[in-house]
Amino acid sequence: MQDTQIVQAMWGGILFGSVYGLMALGLTLVWGAVRLLNLAHGAIFVVGAYAAYWVVASLHLPILVALPFGVLAAAVFAYLMHLVFIRPVIGKPGFDNATLIATVGISISVSAAALLIFNPEYKVVPPVLSDSTIVAGVQITYQGLLVIGTSLALFAIVHLFLTYTRQGMAIRAVSQQTEAASLMSIPVVQTYGIVIAISGALAGLAGVLLSPFFFLNPQSGFNPMIQALIVTIFGGLGSIRGALVAGFVLGVFESFVEVFYGVSWALPGVFILIIVMLIVRPNGLFGIGEVRRL
Amino acid sequence: MLEVRGLVAGYAGSEVLHGIDLVVNDGEGVVVLGPNGHGKTTLLRAITGLLPPTAGQVLLNGRDITRWRADIIAAAGVVHIPQGDLLFPEMTVHENLLMGAYHGPTWAERSVRLGRVYELFPWLKERGGQLARSLSGGERRMLALARGLMSKAQILLIDEPSLGLAPLTTQQIYATIQTVKEGGMALLLADENANHVADLADRVYLLETGMLVREGPAQELLNDNALLESYLG
Repeated sequence: MQDTQIVQAMWGGILFGSVYGLMALGLTLVWGAVRLLNLAHGAIFVVGAYAAYWVVASLHLPILVALPFGVLAAAVFAYLMHLVFIRPVIGKPGFDNATLIATVGISISVSAAALLIFNPEYKVVPPVLSDSTIVAGVQITYQGLLVIGTSLALFAIVHLFLTYTRQGMAIRAVSQQTEAASLMSIPVVQTYGIVIAISGALAGLAGVLLSPFFFLNPQSGFNPMIQALIVTIFGGLGSIRGALVAGFVLGVFESFVEVFYGVSWALPGVFILIIVMLIVRPNGLFGIGEVRRL
Repeated sequence: MLEVRGLVAGYAGSEVLHGIDLVVNDGEGVVVLGPNGHGKTTLLRAITGLLPPTAGQVLLNGRDITRWRADIIAAAGVVHIPQGDLLFPEMTVHENLLMGAYHGPTWAERSVRLGRVYELFPWLKERGGQLARSLSGGERRMLALARGLMSKAQILLIDEPSLGLAPLTTQQIYATIQTVKEGGMALLLADENANHVADLADRVYLLETGMLVREGPAQELLNDNALLESYLG
């Protein structure tokens, strides 16, 4: 075992762990408040990334302009998804089935639309920071540090928002006791929309910041979403702390498996870990347990 | 202030309330007495929008609020303290209280309201940082009441304040409600125990199988033991 390999595994693990966490944060927020398993989360990631790509490639504007645009586009897209597909079925008996099918449908549609609008060629989204440094023989990109820092900062911001602001507290109130929330004059369905838009913004940001590490294509959101789903379940559906901890645990675990046993073991390794986890703690690390909805 | 006309409501095809007519005047304490399972909770839920009524009207100061959304009815000042308390379990006592003042205009004066609630329930102040789920049954009931009082209520609808409580706590709860009423608050109380509500009630309705079968001044009805016996058992 060489130092370089260990540093390599740690770096990759922390970098991807922070992105998994960021994606999972959005999923877990939506699950906690709306009890919606948003399988379009990866599609929203892609919407953000392509929106930023479009600003850079077609409008020839710098990535620092494209980044907020991508985030905004993803949030708006998520909110529209709420208006058109989620809101009409809230409180109806078929909510789970309807939203599962709708969100899968949205994912497929977004991929198809991206293919039609932008053609299947892989796109390059420029990084915000392009320099890098070498630590123990491993290339540490500044963009990677930016991703990690942004992700941690967003966890802190979301936590502060939920703890100290009127709107954030209302989101927690809706998550914990929907009926009482409406008796406190909290507009429940509108709150759902806000949570979904916030979650969309987080996915969009992840999309714009992560795309420079790969080439962007219409399926780019799939892997981050699967990882985020695993992280969310591992950390406990609805738990923010769980998303943060599980993101890094899974990211680092996957990265070590990859470095020491080869890439082909990475995903099976993660699945073995989660199966063991679910046997030991069925609700995940910090799960919130039972389901209730408006 | 609050008027209910011909209210019909129920769950999934089974009608529970068969046309309720009821009035609560400004500052009045009205009690709906009835045994368990005869529709007291359904009545309060239908008034405050948790269960949209199938027929009839609910008027607040003459304005039709039937089928308004629950949060809008609450914002209009009809505040429902539900059965089972429905606290926010993973929020602190302090946060639960703040949520009671969520509505915009009330939020702006939340500190003043918090001060008033702490006068009624001094222990809440010391326990502000405690999670609601860690409270005892009586404490929860008081917090639910206090949370309701954080709002700008014109009328409080309280569902069985004594349910599941020890006698001593029950006394405290009713004494507190009495204090609130003396402050001029209109009350609509659903209860099954005539003894509990004797001090609070100005007028009483008797509810039986989803219909109001008797109405009259509290003095008269609550002292008619034969009548109460036949309805409440």
